[in-house]
Amino acid sequence: MAVPVLKSAPVLEVANLEVVYKNAVIALRGVSLTVAEGQVVAVLGANGAGKTTLVRAITGLLFVHDGAIRDGAILLRGEDLGRMSCAQIVSRGVCQVPEGRMLFPSLTVEENLKMGSMTRRDRAGISQDLERIYELFPILGDRRRQEARWLSGGEQQMVAVGRALMARPRLLICDELSLGLAPQIVETLFEMLARLNREDGLSVLLIEQNARMALEYAAYGYILETGRVVLDGPAPQLRDNEDVQEFYLGGGEHVSISYSAIKHYKRRKRWLS
Amino acid sequence: MDKFLILLLTGLTVGSIYSMVALGFVLVFKSTDVLNFAHGEFLMLGSYLALTFLVSWDLNIWISILIIAALICALGVGIHFGIMRPLIGQPLFSVVLVTIGIAIIIRAGLLIIYGPLERGRITQALPQSGFDVAGVPVPWVNMIMFVVAALSVLVFLLFFKMTRIGLQMRAVAENLEAAAAMGVSPNSVFATSWGIGAVMAAVAGVLYANYAPVIDLNLSAIGLRAFPAAMIGGLDSVGGAILGGLIVGVLEQLAAGYIGAEYRDVVAFGLMFVVLMVRPFGFFGKEDVIRV
Ligand SMILES: Nc1ncnc2c1ncn2[C@@H]1O[C@H](COP(=O)(O)OP(=O)(O)OP(=O)(O)O)[C@@H](O)[C@H]1O
Ligand SMILES: [Mg+2]
Repeated sequence: MAVPVLKSAPVLEVANLEVVYKNAVIALRGVSLTVAEGQVVAVLGANGAGKTTLVRAITGLLFVHDGAIRDGAILLRGEDLGRMSCAQIVSRGVCQVPEGRMLFPSLTVEENLKMGSMTRRDRAGISQDLERIYELFPILGDRRRQEARWLSGGEQQMVAVGRALMARPRLLICDELSLGLAPQIVETLFEMLARLNREDGLSVLLIEQNARMALEYAAYGYILETGRVVLDGPAPQLRDNEDVQEFYLGGGEHVSISYSAIKHYKRRKRWLS
Repeated sequence: MDKFLILLLTGLTVGSIYSMVALGFVLVFKSTDVLNFAHGEFLMLGSYLALTFLVSWDLNIWISILIIAALICALGVGIHFGIMRPLIGQPLFSVVLVTIGIAIIIRAGLLIIYGPLERGRITQALPQSGFDVAGVPVPWVNMIMFVVAALSVLVFLLFFKMTRIGLQMRAVAENLEAAAAMGVSPNSVFATSWGIGAVMAAVAGVLYANYAPVIDLNLSAIGLRAFPAAMIGGLDSVGGAILGGLIVGVLEQLAAGYIGAEYRDVVAFGLMFVVLMVRPFGFFGKEDVIRV
């Protein structure tokens, strides 16, 4: 193996995770994965593979969707997250950039960012971090009093990333960060995550359909299909794998563009129904 | 002209009470998605407790307001934890029926304790004299009622805009899942909304007991007035509820004064229908409330 896979002890260890929605739909069927301290790990998979379900399970959000963990364990440095509330999980340093950004549209940029600090009590630290976010994304500083709904897609994603960083996470989970954004902005965001990973040792779990991008930044990857891990390995190995090339890298930009088109359609349908 | 001014001032006074009630109603709806049809009963409970505190026990009105607000606040929070929380995930319809059940229970409780006889308004707590504004007589009762209502709304707005919990309440109203993802406990936000809504109704109830022609079990109908107020503003808009309350109060008085007392309700609800036809989400509401 060219890349050292486990730099140190795992931050996150998911073992044989089984998740069910509404006591009826099985979304994850025994998923296991590991994120080592300071590592960037990618989880790839097509629509409906169970990626977002995995994120919800780790961050304690299944209750919003009437979902439950039926089997397996999620360990954060050995501590079981399965029974914890979202608040407990966030205050232990796990925060996410949710799929579709999920900003608070009529709150200002600054209020959105502050929402990331709700589990913290250190006022000085919070305003210091706020300034740091404005340094990372100067455009957000200019718009701090504007309602989030008026931002462009890229700026909104910056707010979503900044909001998650305001929790001072040790593990950041990004659910389809690249979705619907121009390649330029996607690259800026990924570069920033890479920098935080390098400089602060932030561990990152990248959930992506954009396999090319994700495998460029991740050290290790898992491929999820209908609720199961069908393949995993160091990123370079996955990039060279024939099946991965065919299904995830084949069409290059085309693939990711068509995926997002499908997804947009699906979302619209969900809203209308 | 004098008549118009008098009607306008009276309308603003009554409207300020409607605003408070509509505000609480909208607040609970905004964060918990529950239409609380017992909201008018919270107000009526406040008025009856005022009878006990101010008339039977002859206590100071400001101390009484604080105690009564605390009691009804506890009731609201209790309803959230005891009744509403276990119902999370049930269809809106069942939840609404439950709030109607709560309304009936409060009403029955008041009937049992206070009896069916109507009482006169409370006259011993506030000065009964008045003063002139540009030749128009204004009773102190009206003035005090308006000022206290305005102060309550102002304090609430400051809380809503400036504090951490206020921010959490606004965030939960916009996107519950995202707020939870940031570590906000939806339950404590829901409970806070119920508590604040109840306090608003309680304070309005105590004030109104000094103004209402009579105190009886029809007082909860004020809750029904809050409904057009809330709908006119947009069911999910706090500012709209405040404005809606004032508009309904003023229009009601103008209709009663110029057309006839029996047109009061017609005007309030008529306006609601017109607004809902032109702007289904109210003047300040957001479109996604259509999910109701
Ligand atoms: N709230 C829900 N209730 C019932 N089933 C759900 C719910 N959310 C997701 N599912 C189901 O769980 C499975 C996994 O969905 P999930 O959203 O986790 O996939 P995903 O990999 O994130 O897909 P996408 O790329 O479209 O975001 C799908 O079959 C989906 O239909
Ligand atoms: Mg997803």
